[in-house]
Amino acid sequence: MIEKITAYRFERLDETLSQLNREDCAIIAGGTDVMVLHKSRRGVPPKIPKPIVFINHLSELKQVYQHHKDLHIGACCTYSELLENPLIPFALKNAIKTIAAPAIRNRGTLGGNICNASPAGDMLPLLYVYNAKVLLRSVKGDRMVEISDFIQGPRQVQRFHNEMVTEIILPFVLGDSHVVFEKVGNRNADAIAKVSFAGFVRMSKGRIDDIRFAFGAVGPTMVRSIDIERRLVGKTIPLADADIAEIVAAFDKIIRPIDDQRSTAAYRKTVALHLLRYFLSMKQYQPN
Amino acid sequence: MITFTLNGRTVETDAPVTARLLDLLREEFELIGTKEGCGEGECGACSVFVNNLLQNSCLIPIGSIAGADIQTIEGIIETKQFKILDESYSIAGGVQCGYCIPGMIMASAALLSENPHPSEAEIREGISGNLCRCTGYNMIVDAINLAAKKGDGL
Amino acid sequence: MNLKDISTSVPKKDHKGKVSGQLPYISDVKMENMVYGVLYRSPIAYGKIISIQLPNLPEGYEAVGAEHIPGPNYVKIIKEDQPIFANEWVNYIGEPILMLTGKDLDILYSLLNEVKVEFEEHQAIYTLDEAIKQKSVSLVLASYEFGESLENISAIEQGAHQIIEEEYDTGYQEHVYLEPQGMLAVYKDDEIVVQGSMQCLYYIKNALLSALACGDDEVRVVQSPTGGGFGGKEDYPSMMACHVAVAARAVKKSVMLVFDRSEDMLVTTKRHPAKLKYRTALDKEGNILSMCVDLFLDGGANVGLSSVVLQRALLNSAGVYKIPHFHAKGYVLKTNTVPNGAFRGFGAPQSFAGIESHIGHLSKLAKIDPLEYKRKYLVKQGDPTITKGKFRDPILVEDMIEDVLNVSEYNKKKEDFQRLNQQNQRYKKGIGTSLFLHGCGFTGSGERDHIKAEVKLVKSKDDQVSLKISNSDMGQGILTTLCKIVAKELNLPFEDILYPYPDTKEVPDSGPTVASRTTMIVGKLLERAAKKLKNQWQTGVEQEVVEHYVHREMIPWDEKTFTGDAYPAYSWGVNIVEVEVDTLTGNLKLEKVYGNYEVGKVIDERIMKGQIDGGLAQGLAYGYLEKMTSKQGRIQQKSISDYGPPTSLDIVSIESKVFDNPYADGPYGAKGAGELTLIGGAPAVQAAIEDALRTSFQQIPITPEVIIESLWMREGEEG
Repeated sequence: MIEKITAYRFERLDETLSQLNREDCAIIAGGTDVMVLHKSRRGVPPKIPKPIVFINHLSELKQVYQHHKDLHIGACCTYSELLENPLIPFALKNAIKTIAAPAIRNRGTLGGNICNASPAGDMLPLLYVYNAKVLLRSVKGDRMVEISDFIQGPRQVQRFHNEMVTEIILPFVLGDSHVVFEKVGNRNADAIAKVSFAGFVRMSKGRIDDIRFAFGAVGPTMVRSIDIERRLVGKTIPLADADIAEIVAAFDKIIRPIDDQRSTAAYRKTVALHLLRYFLSMKQYQPN
Repeated sequence: MITFTLNGRTVETDAPVTARLLDLLREEFELIGTKEGCGEGECGACSVFVNNLLQNSCLIPIGSIAGADIQTIEGIIETKQFKILDESYSIAGGVQCGYCIPGMIMASAALLSENPHPSEAEIREGISGNLCRCTGYNMIVDAINLAAKKGDGL
Repeated sequence: MNLKDISTSVPKKDHKGKVSGQLPYISDVKMENMVYGVLYRSPIAYGKIISIQLPNLPEGYEAVGAEHIPGPNYVKIIKEDQPIFANEWVNYIGEPILMLTGKDLDILYSLLNEVKVEFEEHQAIYTLDEAIKQKSVSLVLASYEFGESLENISAIEQGAHQIIEEEYDTGYQEHVYLEPQGMLAVYKDDEIVVQGSMQCLYYIKNALLSALACGDDEVRVVQSPTGGGFGGKEDYPSMMACHVAVAARAVKKSVMLVFDRSEDMLVTTKRHPAKLKYRTALDKEGNILSMCVDLFLDGGANVGLSSVVLQRALLNSAGVYKIPHFHAKGYVLKTNTVPNGAFRGFGAPQSFAGIESHIGHLSKLAKIDPLEYKRKYLVKQGDPTITKGKFRDPILVEDMIEDVLNVSEYNKKKEDFQRLNQQNQRYKKGIGTSLFLHGCGFTGSGERDHIKAEVKLVKSKDDQVSLKISNSDMGQGILTTLCKIVAKELNLPFEDILYPYPDTKEVPDSGPTVASRTTMIVGKLLERAAKKLKNQWQTGVEQEVVEHYVHREMIPWDEKTFTGDAYPAYSWGVNIVEVEVDTLTGNLKLEKVYGNYEVGKVIDERIMKGQIDGGLAQGLAYGYLEKMTSKQGRIQQKSISDYGPPTSLDIVSIESKVFDNPYADGPYGAKGAGELTLIGGAPAVQAAIEDALRTSFQQIPITPEVIIESLWMREGEEG
């Protein structure tokens, strides 16, 4: 009853893309999500329903570089590799440290975390507030997509079968902004987020120039609202109580988490709003 | 056919590409030191080195390790580093039921190779992917601390 | 190595095999002519099996069910209510109905998916609350009642200033031993050998004798190195042994049954969830006049060991306190959920969490520091127990409290934290204490009437001495500690004492490895046997010495009236825990943990420290971190990360001290220690959280969800 498994492992990216153009394949980078998703019981290989393409060895997918003010991160960089790279911003490294444990970080990739598109994906809230873009490449060329458009639902991304995510781009990331990320898990390592929050503020002449929030694990995808964010542009710090209350109330309406085996909807919503309020109540925002 | 290096020897297998490295090691190569505790990368009992990096073999499809250098606990038993860890775990009382221990030793070795004199916090971080239910971790942390002192940069 | 003081640590006997990973646990074993077994399990919580339809089985693949059981279709534990293979009624999701055997696991899993069983589903009872509401005798799996008469209590309540009623809930706890359960039956023409991960060699042998309806020499049980037990491998392995042995007999091949982690989490026994109801009469100053405790345990679908768990829970229902006019009543109720069983503490953790919580809340009413209030009621040597037994031996708890108060700077910390908490909005610090004991040995008259332990020492011609006992080392170190006792007694090097893994062909029944009895009872028997051997020693001659358990009668235990000395001795403990609560997320950080313990005499310091660290980590996590829930009869957490046992980043260093208080009937004065260390964790954590947040809780685990809800409700009340 052993089905024939087709698998490919090319030396170069262009060969890989040619294969993707020929058939719809399951792409495996580190495998830390795929191997759990398709897990069988003990002693038996996972059941992956499509031909497989291994990509985590492709050097073209492991480049980290700066281009103008944008940061380009290769999709197959492992978390450990990103932790060692001086170009990666402090806030992103802090987020990476909350993921799982060393052995997983030695294998899991940023591209994998995005394409897995878990509602609780650890890197996602921060990538959203960075307005990250995903570079998709195929034999037909390149396509750039905003991360919020790329991720459409749990485990659903806007990738045509002949495309592969090759880079993640963080635009103007090296400006002077204050970024926070907080992950709330059920323990201090190896935990899936119950709630997560990312906040981003850029000040200009004592006023808010740009402010962004993203919430994780409280909906099918990250919760973000440009409309709510706009209400704070131009305001001074510290924010007035009334303004804070208004923003919190606005998010109260759109954050609709669920009960599951890890936590409750009530907890998730309450804590999400607590983290938001705490961020909004800060007396100053230092660039980091 | 997938070819790779296992504990210093070149080996090959015709097991399916999606076979878990953990099962390959235990079944085909009869290396029982790498254990299954959860099958999901959450307990660390299946820890191995892939190109000198600590990884969970239950999550590795063998198709992705063609040409890689794999080391299991059996592969490091003769090293000086292992002998120091062996002694330190004994002196510090870090071994109870033993099931987590090969994985812990791999994680300890990986940590000390990268950070020869870790703080307590760094030690706890280094073994944060290895679950132990018997010891409550403290005597294992002591063991690694002791090994760091004895090894002095090994 | 000749030991001056027995407590001095020695290198453990099984160290080398464990660090190298070469010591084979059962899943590391491969046999010729071996097949795997996989179990078809009930998908419904309660109903009747109408029909079973098997797929076409390829050559070499077979189905084994109730019809293949030579003996009665029950796992012999205490009562006959646990089928080996359910074939009429099913009582919980996950109940085994049949087994498929074959060489290839992939094929077996596919075949399993094609098995079709038709059920007539009936209305199930899913929760303890539902079972309590039913008030049906048919749901009572066990019950006991004892203490002051209710008329007297009623009279006292009439004159009381205040009656306080509290209801307290404790949750599941899952063992998460690193090695999932596994059992192998080796098929031979004239005998079946069952080996695997286990705590109780002879529980398994007896279950097999019943299931296989065979002669004593036709079945043999051998313990494999066991990767953790904590009580989870006390009775559960008996069922697995029956599965593989019946299958081996039927298919005439060796059969291996090993669980996945998720299977293990979903279907094996867990700590009984409990509900404790307190009704306490107080005078004007807040002193206790009388107390009634009603205790309910969720037994799950079969009684298993639950009656004994209930006994221990009831015996500990007054904690370490001498409560005037005390009455207790307890029930194990049946629900259509996974049957619950032994877990380190065995009913005591639930009771201590409850009583420490209740007493702590009473102290708040009396406006006295919780520890000060608790000390007023602490039992003293000579006091009666709540079952009219006696605390015969010296009790060092007062000394232990004084010491840990000093070391932890409890009073100063308490004041400091109150000040800090005024200033800090987000983070609140608190400090809490717990006082606890553990009765050593099997509850009641078990040792005398049921176990009747026997040990043997065998000396070879080359003067090597082997321990012949049925007890399992599952990590707690008895391979080392028991050999130390014999070595010291015989004045021989520790290395010359052998303790092979127990094999029913070789060893008498020295009893199960449970109830913190191994060191105290079996160790004592070995000490006596060694003394005997020493007196009879003849160099170069093969010799054998046997010792039997001798019961020192105190006040005889009577199970019907629930009176007498339930335990021959008690071990004691005090914990102090400091925590920091993040009021934004409800997350808890352990800051400092202290434990003082008295276990008679320590047989090995390092091994004792391991029991302290490991037991307390589990106990603390029981109080705030580990949460398992059941919905519509289905366990919701099937991965380790969903359940949440602590990682190295969740635990802090534990500062501990062990006090000497030798017990005459223990080897070198030792009593039991294995379970004691878990018991104090949860109540101390709860007390610390209550101190930090100035609020009361009525349940464990006090998860962030519980904390956030409590803070939110308080905000609502204040605002």
